[in-house]
Amino acid sequence: MTYSEVEAVSGFVGNFNVTVRKKARYVDPTACTSCAECAKVCPVAVPDEYQQGFSSRKAIYIPFPQAVPSSYILDMDNCLGNNPIACGKCADVCEKKCIDYDDQDERVKIEVGVIITATGMDVYDPTEYDEYGYTRYDNVITSMEFERLICAGGPTEGHFIRPSDRQIPKTIGFIQCVGSRSRDGRGNPYCSNICCMNTVKDTLLLCDHYPGVEAKVFYMDIRAFGKGFEDLYMRSKEEGVKYIRGIPGEVVEDPASGNLVLTVENTTTGKLEKHELELLVLAQGVIPRKDNDVIKKLLTLSSTSDGFIMESHPKLKPVDAPTKGIYIAGCVESPKDVKDSVTQAGAAAARASILLNAGKTKIEAITSLVDPEKCNYCGVCSKVCPYNAIVAADKKTKKLPVIIQAACAGCGACAAECTQDAIIMRHFRDEQILAQIEALLSVEPHKHLVTFACNWCSYAGGDNAGTARLQYPTDCRLIRTMCSGRVDQKFIFHAFKHGAPMVLVSGCHFSDCHYINAVHWTQKRMDRVWNKLDKLGIRPDRLILEWISAAEGQKFAKVMRELESRVKQVTAEEIEHTMKLLAEQDGKGKKKKNTAGREAEVKV
Amino acid sequence: MAAKETNFKCLMCGHEYVGMFDPQNVTERTCPKCRSNSVRKMPGKTADVED
Repeated sequence: MTYSEVEAVSGFVGNFNVTVRKKARYVDPTACTSCAECAKVCPVAVPDEYQQGFSSRKAIYIPFPQAVPSSYILDMDNCLGNNPIACGKCADVCEKKCIDYDDQDERVKIEVGVIITATGMDVYDPTEYDEYGYTRYDNVITSMEFERLICAGGPTEGHFIRPSDRQIPKTIGFIQCVGSRSRDGRGNPYCSNICCMNTVKDTLLLCDHYPGVEAKVFYMDIRAFGKGFEDLYMRSKEEGVKYIRGIPGEVVEDPASGNLVLTVENTTTGKLEKHELELLVLAQGVIPRKDNDVIKKLLTLSSTSDGFIMESHPKLKPVDAPTKGIYIAGCVESPKDVKDSVTQAGAAAARASILLNAGKTKIEAITSLVDPEKCNYCGVCSKVCPYNAIVAADKKTKKLPVIIQAACAGCGACAAECTQDAIIMRHFRDEQILAQIEALLSVEPHKHLVTFACNWCSYAGGDNAGTARLQYPTDCRLIRTMCSGRVDQKFIFHAFKHGAPMVLVSGCHFSDCHYINAVHWTQKRMDRVWNKLDKLGIRPDRLILEWISAAEGQKFAKVMRELESRVKQVTAEEIEHTMKLLAEQDGKGKKKKNTAGREAEVKV
Repeated sequence: MAAKETNFKCLMCGHEYVGMFDPQNVTERTCPKCRSNSVRKMPGKTADVED
């Protein structure tokens, strides 16, 4: 379905219900023969988005030459009006009578087993790099605009002319990394992957089309990895393209000639150079799509800190999204070139077909269950679930929450947030974790740092520290949970009650969370526990929270070393006092429960 | 609900600072001084602490 938007997605792996809005085209694509008679008579002209505004299009148009289906659409935002019909010329000349001003958006509901997300990326707008004068000088263009100007199907039919005087430029400069690899608050810190090779290709095109043209590339590094790319780079150099290592600091226009004078420090020679250019191309970077947040919400996905959609596992599941049955391909995941995008699309299709052909899916046994005896229908579990895997309880009708086992990923955030202990997390049950705490504090508890580590990052960070032979104290005791979101506050109090001097909760960084946003609940819960500890008169700094990724073995070892000295600072008296306080609290709690129980009995 | 200025305290180094807090948009906290993540959102209103 083209010219359509996904409006809603519900369900789970194998059973997704998708609502798609097919936008009104106002032209019947089955009847339209693309004769273009309608566009000829259309009086409206607006900048052509596909041609980067270098030419205009009509209100009735084909968005781009390869559009599918190859039929016209009516841009009602720019049309003179359909209610009442203000112009109607296109309909008058259409022999096939395929223009329908009353066309309406159509909502289509489809059931699908899997979803592949390949929504692409946007390009960086270099306006904020004011020193390059993109908004001030006509002859400063972006690499996307360059593509249109040199394309045979472009506004100049492939004649590469500069915008100010429509003359073929003889000296052309390219500035690399515009909006990429930036740490000064502008642009993005990541490498956009494609710009270097795109510029190398552009210089070769220029040399091929206009022999004798002088091309200069200003760069910080040329990243030409990949099959044949280094050869292409060398060919560009052999063609006479000058590669100057240095990012220009200033571009000034000569108003008389329209030429641009660029000042750059050549870091190879260490000299300040000035270059006069007739045209300057800014190799703009790649950014996540502006509507990625909508996609994330629709499909319960998460993104990395750079805004691209996060994969389930960067090495082992690079095309799987964290939500089962959803796959990702192309630049929605990270900036990549056509070859990588095609490879990833093939992988995503293959992964999807495995699931579709099997007709069934295997799930990990680590999922949650509801204990009907304990549930009070509060609905917290369904609000917490990052996967929308819990159908909410209903207090009025006493309907228990329903956990969709196929959608549950096993983070355990629901179990940790449930105040009634009504959620049972298979293989990570409360009893199992409490028993682990008791076991590891059974001998010399005052020496041990109780550490809760998430399976994917912090626990792996500990492994990383070990394999890297990093030294860290032997007194830390690790309890593995699938996610730090599983660490119930009662585990922390249980550890203190059994004589733990300090407790460390560690998990994935927010951008690495393997359960979409379950880690958010960890932080919220820690705030609550710190406040409770404070209220009870227990030092909150005896509970430490650290985000440690699988690659941060050094951080893991450093945290452990720091906490070892803190463990030693907690005195036996303080530990005893804490244990006494918590035992008293327990007593009060039990008394309250018993009283409540008796009151209930009386009421009955 | 919009983000509000809130007091934060690092439980590792004791550094106190004022930052923005939005309950609808939870973000990772890192102490600007020691880079620890044990940053506690202090209860109550914004107080005069080092910015």
